[in-house]
Amino acid sequence: MKALLEVNHLTKQFGKDSKALTDVSFSVQEGEFVSIIGPSGAGKSTLLRCINRMIDATGGDIRFQDSQVMNLKKKELKQVRTKIGMIFQHYNLVNRLSVIENTLHGKLGTKSTLAGVLGLYSKEEKQQAVQILNVLGLNEMIYKRADQLSGGQKQRVGIARALIQNPRMLLCDEPIASLDPNSAKVIMDHLKKVSTTMGITVVVNLHQVDVAIKYSDRIIGINKGQVVYNGSAKGLTSEDIQRIYGSEADDLIFDIGGIHAG
Amino acid sequence: MEVKEQLRNVTAPADHLIGGRMPAKPLNKAAIVTRLTLYTLAVLTIYAFFSFDYKELDFMDALLGTFANLKTIFLEPHLKHFSFGHALYQVMVTLGLAFLTTLFGAIIAILFGLLAAENLSSKKTSMVIKSLVAFIRAVPTVLWVLIFAVAAGLGSTAAVIGMTFHSIGYLIKAYSESFEEMDRGVIEALQASGANWWQIVFQAVIPSSITYMISWTFLRFEINFAVAVAMGAAAGAGGIGYDMFMASSFYLDMREIGAITYFILAVAIILEIFAAKIKRKLKTA
Repeated sequence: MKALLEVNHLTKQFGKDSKALTDVSFSVQEGEFVSIIGPSGAGKSTLLRCINRMIDATGGDIRFQDSQVMNLKKKELKQVRTKIGMIFQHYNLVNRLSVIENTLHGKLGTKSTLAGVLGLYSKEEKQQAVQILNVLGLNEMIYKRADQLSGGQKQRVGIARALIQNPRMLLCDEPIASLDPNSAKVIMDHLKKVSTTMGITVVVNLHQVDVAIKYSDRIIGINKGQVVYNGSAKGLTSEDIQRIYGSEADDLIFDIGGIHAG
Repeated sequence: MEVKEQLRNVTAPADHLIGGRMPAKPLNKAAIVTRLTLYTLAVLTIYAFFSFDYKELDFMDALLGTFANLKTIFLEPHLKHFSFGHALYQVMVTLGLAFLTTLFGAIIAILFGLLAAENLSSKKTSMVIKSLVAFIRAVPTVLWVLIFAVAAGLGSTAAVIGMTFHSIGYLIKAYSESFEEMDRGVIEALQASGANWWQIVFQAVIPSSITYMISWTFLRFEINFAVAVAMGAAAGAGGIGYDMFMASSFYLDMREIGAITYFILAVAIILEIFAAKIKRKLKTA
């Protein structure tokens, strides 16, 4: 099967000599749940943003479906972006707008400029928004303002905004880093459900190794901008974790044997 | 010897403070400069009062005269050369001048404010606009009106153009700073979903900063009302300001000046109450 996303020899350089990514290559299959783990500052966020070109990479190439992302012109890039949903650590909602308005923002990329500017959405689009919000358990909150929600609810609106794009892939940048364990579990369960029931590919940056092992099909470990592990979640050994986190590995607060047993 | 001294300082670093005076603020360069400036200003003020040309003016007489004038103006106001209805109409004209210039200014400033906000345009465009705007604001409104009066002639046209011009400069700065306050992540989120610049501006940037924009615009409206009164007098732009000019320089009628002052005061208070109400509503909405 042809991979949905293919990243080849990707490098990114900030300024003259600070390299964020060095020769990163991996591919993601259709419907796969992939976690990217690594210490802070390893280049996880940069990698994720290079995929939809929120950051322009310095070298290498990226293929998403049939498009070479690196060579796309402005208009084609927007088209590709409509097929890739993105979820953020700080939710990034417009606080003064309602939940449903924030959800419908995901549709802007497919609308004409004027319709988008005036906020004119079709009946079908609104119905789809309500349906997605129902699935995420936000049916009571539809007309609430985004700043009245809790963190976990905000992140669910973030997921709704990404899902209404009818995306082929979701990029999640530390989606649970600002949440309490309970809300974090709800969000990860939703992401897993999205991947298994809707067949949407999910690529997620994570800080928590145990969460990554529990939810993902495959784990990509990054250290200092290089891929140091690329394999199944089950196959991740404590030596691998040592390699990914370097000297910090001993400070991680979990027991790897316990996780695999659970 | 020196080493011993230092050692003592290390063991009891605050000893020398406990005995003597203990300043709450350390005396650094900034504090010295501030103090010197204040002393210089004080000396200059005292010197100025001694060096004025008083023209054998009796201070008590002058003071009493002023109070007598103020009493005539504020305690015996009347309208002689025009009716109450006319005065009300003229106040409306002045308000209209303020409203029109604020509206023109706001519409133009939204566009340029977006271009001047660093997070929405390029660094270069932003800097060019910001420095141009700084120049416009540095020249007072009255001066702009007089500059435009060269082409348009002294009157309402010059007043509208000149006041609009300065309002644009003021509001571009206010708006662009409100836009720059915005969370970078929200813009990023919409960009990542394929939305274009106009959509992001109208769906995220303006909804997020609308409260700031309205309160800045209203503040400018209040300023423009005050300027419009002055323009009526100084540039012949009409409105209540022109009547005040006539009452003072032409009829020399202090009582009428008093009446007009009360009119302006009443409008200013109404505007203030209105502004406070709007702001409260925006905060809770």
